[in-house]
Amino acid sequence: MTTAAPVRWGQLSPRAKRKALAGWAFVVPALLIYAFFFIQPFFYSIYYSLTDWNGADPVKQFVGLGNYIKLAGDSLLWQALGHNLIWVIIGTVSPIAIGLLLGVLIWTGALGRVLFRTIYFLPVVLSEVVIAIIWNWIYHPLFGAVNQILRGIGLDHLARGWLGDPQTALLALLMTAIWSYYGFCFVIIMAGLQNVDISLVEAATIDGANGWQRFIHVIVPQLSHVLTMITAFTLIGGFNVFGIVFVMTQGGPGTATQVIATYTYRKAFQESQVGYGAALSMVMTLLSLVTSYIFIRLRERQEQ
Amino acid sequence: MQNTSTVQEWSRMGARGPRQRAVRDRLLRYIGSLLRYAILIFFTLVCITPLFWVIASSLKTTGQIAANPLGFPTEIRWDNYIEAWTVGRFGKYFKNSVIVSIPIVTFVILLASLAGYGLARLRFHGSNFVFVLFLLGLMVPFQSIMIPLFYILKDIRFLGTYWAMIVPSIALGMPFSIFFMRAYFSGLPQELGDAAEIDGCNEFSVYWRVMLPLAGPAVSALVVLQFMGAWNAFLLPLIYMQKEEIRPLVLGLMFFRSRYTQNYPLTMAGAAIVMVPIVIVYLVFQRRFVQGLTAGAVK
Repeated sequence: MTTAAPVRWGQLSPRAKRKALAGWAFVVPALLIYAFFFIQPFFYSIYYSLTDWNGADPVKQFVGLGNYIKLAGDSLLWQALGHNLIWVIIGTVSPIAIGLLLGVLIWTGALGRVLFRTIYFLPVVLSEVVIAIIWNWIYHPLFGAVNQILRGIGLDHLARGWLGDPQTALLALLMTAIWSYYGFCFVIIMAGLQNVDISLVEAATIDGANGWQRFIHVIVPQLSHVLTMITAFTLIGGFNVFGIVFVMTQGGPGTATQVIATYTYRKAFQESQVGYGAALSMVMTLLSLVTSYIFIRLRERQEQ
Repeated sequence: MQNTSTVQEWSRMGARGPRQRAVRDRLLRYIGSLLRYAILIFFTLVCITPLFWVIASSLKTTGQIAANPLGFPTEIRWDNYIEAWTVGRFGKYFKNSVIVSIPIVTFVILLASLAGYGLARLRFHGSNFVFVLFLLGLMVPFQSIMIPLFYILKDIRFLGTYWAMIVPSIALGMPFSIFFMRAYFSGLPQELGDAAEIDGCNEFSVYWRVMLPLAGPAVSALVVLQFMGAWNAFLLPLIYMQKEEIRPLVLGLMFFRSRYTQNYPLTMAGAAIVMVPIVIVYLVFQRRFVQGLTAGAVK
């Protein structure tokens, strides 16, 4: 924090006073809109989560921790959290691994890096609904690319309705998410690689380190900053994932792909259990805050 | 993969003399770079082929889709686009998206650059607290506030109007944008502002005439990122913008898709209408995109 506040108002020079007032004037418009449309609803979320309310009644019935006690015994919530867990594990490791692979391949000397970067990042700028439509098409039981290819190489028995089969639906959604996201990891990792000291890599080569050793012991440690950042970012994204799941499967078949965000949406906006929905949204809030907190602590330790 | 066997043969033969070793090394390097480009090109195709399918399918007839789902269209049918634009009301949704995106981007930039400047350049009581308050917004997902925000928007009669998307999006854009602008303003040389002040500028004109123009790269990076965010936003309009007349493109596409489930060419034409503008903006301003996204990540 570079803007250390001065000691006392009375001791300030007229210039410093004017600056301080101007400072508030600069911040106030943003602060007002942020306070009203962000901070206020945040506290209301906490309040709602302690009530039983259907969204229409004039009275919100205060139930204390009742919703949270109900959460603990809600098997659908635990199932959804389980899906989120699978989602954050696979959905974090794979795009970062792909991003690292592509980043290192280009960084260690490939032509056309701008062209590759342009293309890899392309899916990242697409809307979730467009991505969902594209991948619904790829998974289409009859015309979809996946089944066409499988049939083409004689593996007809593997062809199936990927999104309709509870066994494969979640993984199929994850593939979609990874497709839409590895370009983001790649771009961030490329930016991080710009700061990697290439002479250290060369020194390791002379010392006889093979490619893998150079990657693990020389390149990855120098990228640790960037890697923790993307990991935290991806984890938070995974805990809150909504769009792809909602458009592609609506959480189905059955509840096979229900994640906490789609479950919350359903409770709060489709089943009018606003209080319970708010409690569910608090679970997401907590997961995000804890992840951020761990990330900040890790960052502090790295900086020492 | 035939190349691998050659490698094995070569290594089995061993390096008998310096000349053979040189040849072997060159071959290995050649195979290495072949493999490198094979992987890079594989992922290029993985990125591009699905987008090709969108465009190709959007130009086919339903009959063509069934006969030849993955290839090029045999005859190009632009009518799908016309039908999506008019009957599917994508023209209307497109206009809605523009109507909400422009004020969102404008006000996010304006308010965030003001606040970022104030936090970076003007010391005042409580500025640390204010900054931390905005930073907390980076850690709290939209899902945490979406439920009460619905009832707040209802109470102030924003629901069912463009304001229901514009104003919350501005608030949601604040944390990252302020963080971003503050970092940029902190990096600019202090002397510039001081010199302008001596010349008689007040705080606001130092900001407006000197500092903001200098922050051009940061502002344009933020413009493209915020535009992408506003154009692609999904959950927020899904909750607050359901009314048909005000739906933005993305939401229009979602409802359109569920109405025309079996009409793939038409759905794909709709997807292309949503996709193409943002892809063009990205291709034109891609350096700004990358700068904006990587600025916070890499120190």
